[in-house]
Amino acid sequence: MADIELEGIRKVYGTAISTVALRGVDLTVPAGEYAAIIGRSGSGKSTLLNILGTLDRPTEGRMRFEGRDLFAASDDKLAEFRSGTLGFIFQFHYLLPEFNTLENVLLPYRIRHGRADGAAVRRAKELIEKVGVGPRMYNRANNLSGGEQQRVAIARSLINAPRVILADEPTGNLDTETSESVKGLLRAINREFKTTFIIVTHDRHIAAGCDRVIEIEDGSIKRDLSTSELSRDETWAELAPCNCREREDGRLPAAPPA
Amino acid sequence: MFNLSVAFRFLKEGRMQTALILIGITLGIAVQVFLNALIMDLQLSLVEDTVGRSPHITATMPDDVPQAAYVPPDGRPALARIVSNEGSLKPIRDWKSVEAQLVKLGAFKVIVPVAQGSGFIRQGEKSLPVILRGFDLERADALYDIRRRLVAGRYEVGGNGILIGRELADKLRTGAGHSLRIAVPSGASDVFPINGVFDLENQALNESWVLVSLNRAQILFGLDQGLTQIELQVPDVFSAAGWAESLRRSFPALKWLSWQETNAQLLAALKGQGSSSYIIQMFVLLSVTLAIASVLAISVVQRSRQIGILKALGMKTRQIGRVFIIQGAVLGFIGSLLGSLAGWGLIAMFTAVQKANPAAGLTSISVRSGAVVLSILIATTAGTLAAFFPARRAARLNPIEVIRNG
Ligand SMILES: Nc1ncnc2c1ncn2[C@@H]1O[C@H](COP(=O)(O)OP(=O)(O)OP(=O)(O)O)[C@@H](O)[C@H]1O
Ligand SMILES: [Mg+2]
Repeated sequence: MADIELEGIRKVYGTAISTVALRGVDLTVPAGEYAAIIGRSGSGKSTLLNILGTLDRPTEGRMRFEGRDLFAASDDKLAEFRSGTLGFIFQFHYLLPEFNTLENVLLPYRIRHGRADGAAVRRAKELIEKVGVGPRMYNRANNLSGGEQQRVAIARSLINAPRVILADEPTGNLDTETSESVKGLLRAINREFKTTFIIVTHDRHIAAGCDRVIEIEDGSIKRDLSTSELSRDETWAELAPCNCREREDGRLPAAPPA
Repeated sequence: MFNLSVAFRFLKEGRMQTALILIGITLGIAVQVFLNALIMDLQLSLVEDTVGRSPHITATMPDDVPQAAYVPPDGRPALARIVSNEGSLKPIRDWKSVEAQLVKLGAFKVIVPVAQGSGFIRQGEKSLPVILRGFDLERADALYDIRRRLVAGRYEVGGNGILIGRELADKLRTGAGHSLRIAVPSGASDVFPINGVFDLENQALNESWVLVSLNRAQILFGLDQGLTQIELQVPDVFSAAGWAESLRRSFPALKWLSWQETNAQLLAALKGQGSSSYIIQMFVLLSVTLAIASVLAISVVQRSRQIGILKALGMKTRQIGRVFIIQGAVLGFIGSLLGSLAGWGLIAMFTAVQKANPAAGLTSISVRSGAVVLSILIATTAGTLAAFFPARRAARLNPIEVIRNG
């Protein structure tokens, strides 16, 4: 039960002019859950995700992974935790421009194991094919298009078979078609390996496809929606802003919801 | 392993910077290697000029130590009798056995038994002081290289036959085939036919040396079969002082002096030259170190994005630090390797120019592999140290700064 538990997480930026990015977030994500975090720009989604990813330490509050208090550990211990347990898809899909596609995908593996053996290279190639950038296997990362870089970053997040994947806008730069296939890929990995996903997204299509949707507003959890009890259209209606309550297929519902 | 490949990749991708800094290090180390070789060879040639054609170690009988004439009961001498040995030479009598033992040691290039003393030549009003040196001409030639430098007559002494220097001959308006009357302090005097005239390219020697046979000198100075000194040369001039020390222990009856002890001024000059060369080399190395440090500091800033990603992906502080330490070491190593090659090229060029123009004096300088290896070692260490602060900066970088802002 690879639970992630957040307890009273507060994050305040700056000293002279302080911005409160998170004001007391309590959240438990059970192992294998496929969760979305939504909210307006500036609401604190990335801040929350960075804390979940142990990249940032909260001003206050605790985080436990499988019962282990993470922020009590040293930076190096956290680095080890990240490389062993977490996969990242960043909002700005950071690849290393000095390395090619394959090398970028192998980075987390090599950070953890030093050398990439044949099996690791095969696995990396498989993942690259899976995200559809096979033809760009040996291209340098800075020669790839935004969408290609995004997909390489997804393949990279998967190479160490992490237990938790944290994704910040994973389909931000993708066209609808690729976006669909990436969405399907992430979901398939979640189903196959019971990998926990926490996906920050503005895309209601993605959010609607998640087990759970957590809405952040002004640094607090405003809504925590479990979609498994709702039908697709009900979910869609819940997630839609008031002025566009169309169904997922784009048609208006027969009767306005109560 | 991974650190290494990231370090190399960063160096390779920062081509321009890497190339520039390598050129800088190469030039610095080339100058260092060249300068080091030049100074060393200048020193060697200076030493060679000074002591190449003179004994490295000389054995004589010790001066008489003043003897206490009266020692009171408390044991402290109160009166001393000063003994002057002026005029009378104390001979080394058992020199044949000393010589046999020296030969047995096998450490000496040349061993020349010498009997010498002062004399003067009267010619009209003039009375010229000279040194009558008696030795076996064949053996002495290995030390003084006289035969090659004979300008007139034949290379031969024996009986009363002598060789004199060019300046003395000019002063006396005489030459081979003529004779000279020479007197010694004991009052004896004789006529000596001049067999030949030499030019040792040294005015003092050319003016004062009169070469006679060993036997004639022994008789002239009443030395019986004894010597006044034994002159030695060792293969490595700088080992002379050490050998003199050990000979002092083996033959305490004799007084052994090395060229270092009699040429303190030359040694001081060499030391001065050596230390100024070290200071120059140190500054070259310092600027190489600072150059590496500044290039790496810039590289850390340029690659802060990459550093942030690597840390986010789980690279530890120390591993990140090592990526930059390795870069410093690699720059130092490759730069100094290239620098040594370039320095070697400079030396070869210099030697070629000197050979084409022999009047310039110093004819060739040579690369010392020990010095080159040392330079490479030092430069690599310096590069590693230079990387320390940039590496620390990289290691301390907070990944969130990078992840947040794109
Ligand atoms: N380093 C920082 N210093 C000061 N304020 C910050 C810093 N980082 C974030 N903030 C503020 O914290 C709040 C939350 O930022 P965060 O990046 O989490 O928003 P977000 O929900 O991810 O927005 P977006 O959807 O645009 O990515 C914002 O008001 C932002 O201005
Ligand atoms: Mg964000």
